[in-house]
Amino acid sequence: MYAPGRHRLVWVLLLLPALLIVLGLTVYPLFQVGFLSLFRYDYTAGTKEFIGFFNYIEILKNRFFLTSIRNTVVFAITATAAEVIGGLLLALLFNRPFRGRRLILPFLILPMMLSTMVVSAIWRAWFHFDYGFLNTVLGSVGLGGVRWLFDPDLALFSIVLVDFWQWTPLAFLILLAGLQSIPNELPEAAKVDGASRWQLFQNVTLPLLRNPLLLAVLLRTVDSFKLFDKVYALTGGGPGLATETISMYVYREGFKFFNVGAASAGSIVMLSLSGVLAVVYAWKILKGQV
Amino acid sequence: MKRLQFRCLSVLFLVFSLLLVGVLPGFAKAEGNLVIAGRDGGYGKALELAVRMFKAANPGVEIEQLKLPYGSLYEKLVISFREESGAYDLVMLDDTWATEYMANGWLLDLETTGFRVGDDFISTALSVGRYPYKSGSLYALPIVGNVELFAYRKDLFNKYGLGEPKTWLDVLEAAVKIDTSERDVAGVVFRGTKGNPIVTGFLPILWGFGSRVVDDKGGSGLNSPNALAALTFFLKLKRYAPQGVELYNSSEVRDALQQGDVAIAIEVWPAWIPSLDDPKVSKVVKKIEIQAAPGLISGPSPMLGAWLMGVAEDSKNRDMAVEFLQFLTSPKIQKQIALEVGIPPTRASVYKDSSLVEKYRWYPSQLKALEDAHPRPRITKWSEVEAILGDYLQLALTGSLAPEKALGEANERISAVLSR
Repeated sequence: MYAPGRHRLVWVLLLLPALLIVLGLTVYPLFQVGFLSLFRYDYTAGTKEFIGFFNYIEILKNRFFLTSIRNTVVFAITATAAEVIGGLLLALLFNRPFRGRRLILPFLILPMMLSTMVVSAIWRAWFHFDYGFLNTVLGSVGLGGVRWLFDPDLALFSIVLVDFWQWTPLAFLILLAGLQSIPNELPEAAKVDGASRWQLFQNVTLPLLRNPLLLAVLLRTVDSFKLFDKVYALTGGGPGLATETISMYVYREGFKFFNVGAASAGSIVMLSLSGVLAVVYAWKILKGQV
Repeated sequence: MKRLQFRCLSVLFLVFSLLLVGVLPGFAKAEGNLVIAGRDGGYGKALELAVRMFKAANPGVEIEQLKLPYGSLYEKLVISFREESGAYDLVMLDDTWATEYMANGWLLDLETTGFRVGDDFISTALSVGRYPYKSGSLYALPIVGNVELFAYRKDLFNKYGLGEPKTWLDVLEAAVKIDTSERDVAGVVFRGTKGNPIVTGFLPILWGFGSRVVDDKGGSGLNSPNALAALTFFLKLKRYAPQGVELYNSSEVRDALQQGDVAIAIEVWPAWIPSLDDPKVSKVVKKIEIQAAPGLISGPSPMLGAWLMGVAEDSKNRDMAVEFLQFLTSPKIQKQIALEVGIPPTRASVYKDSSLVEKYRWYPSQLKALEDAHPRPRITKWSEVEAILGDYLQLALTGSLAPEKALGEANERISAVLSR
């Protein structure tokens, strides 16, 4: 047996490279971004001027940034709700044996294996007003074409649809694993006691699925908050500001205009919003385990 | 024994990890290899051809060519120059980036290397590689003679008795006539995606109406009745454009023209014009007429969109880089690139070459347009100004903001950027 002090030292040494990487790639950049957000910093000209919280005041008055916050929150809530509910329905369906189950399952999870740019290219073609698959199908049943990506009221929800198609399988897998971890005795006992299907779902299945549900909601919410790639590929943030997200705003300020101070302030605001959500969910999950 | 093995393994693992972190940054660019940072797509193919020919003529030279999308190229170049990494020897740049790069001292003054320019280069394209503009030292050579052109269906214009559109009002009249008369043909198409696409479509209209983004004093020129008239006109054109034009980019405009779905495109680019006469992809072979953009208050105002190439000031292979640049811009190589890839040349003599004119019937019009072309404002903050203008143009295009309010807010924000 190792003496306790030396034992701990070995583990610390083994963990040290990983810790250094986490500190270097996560903690240090976080503090650096926070520090830079207090400056007016034109990267190309190399000029830096301390302005305190002025960047935050400016962006929180900026129409574009406020719209991007609203769009990001709406997207995160809508996409997460749709994906978790969709995932739950699929998980309930696949939690029972049926013919062809093993054959269908791989195709069901295929969308989440594809890269987001491939998914966006597919859906951009499907959304085309004149030649797209969706409007062609609608036309074949006598309905008019839909302005999927260029109607300012619809564009964001079209991107929700794309995200739903790609990431519902993830929620499905998490919830299916959760369902399959429920001991059979409990629903059987409830059936014996005369519980209806709905009562069984409401009073037995759902409570036991609480933690996987919260996990699915947490993962999808945090990921949705970072929405950038689909918007970049499908709409560029348009039409108008309809699909402008916080990530797009930060990208433009930071990498097109190289206004590093303003971009850093935008990043900190985004981190704060998603951080609060993550802490709330994580606390609920851990509270359930106490 | 097991304890000893475990300790040895732990130490080895720790040392290896630390070495990895220390060694990785050591993979620097090898001396003697040329690294060219350039565009993707057709431009990438053109450069690839030139690289192949240069290597054949210079055995032993190793060249690495990066093919990058527009935004990515700009980001990488700025970061490399600011950090003085010396990562690239030759850099391809949009003419709108040139002022910023030259003002920051990121490009080598070619005239200090004994480089002789001659007088065959088209002067408008050559001037944007000088700092100060037109009169200063030469820092970059034009390698792609891009100029924004205008295209229309000659067959449809003849059908409805419409003459060659000389003014923007002629364009609107033709668009209305054809759109209302032809069932499956829209009157006009343009790029409506926000940012650079919508701005490049709008600028010839703005100039034609006698207005400018940046006035002679270096401030915003958008706060004028002419600018408002230009924007109002642009929004009128949208009524005769295909559904979804707000998100159209180059491929959608090209496809709409090729498939015969539109009668007029206010913005076409030489790199893909040849495809309009390619029977494999186009349904309108030899039916499209190409000319400079019309005028109105001001004469025709085709927009220059040249791509340049310069040698990085921090390059460690300057001599070889200058030699490649001379090779790339020579008449022989420009002709070969034009013939094989379709990328437009930047030397007047090449435009007049009979074999090229036979293949590209619009070359005389294109040369004229280049000679009359206007560059975008020669300011260091054009990327930001263009993005702001692009945002507000799209807000006006989608009806989210009234044109007066859109121009007013754009003017205010652009003024703030220009005053920094």
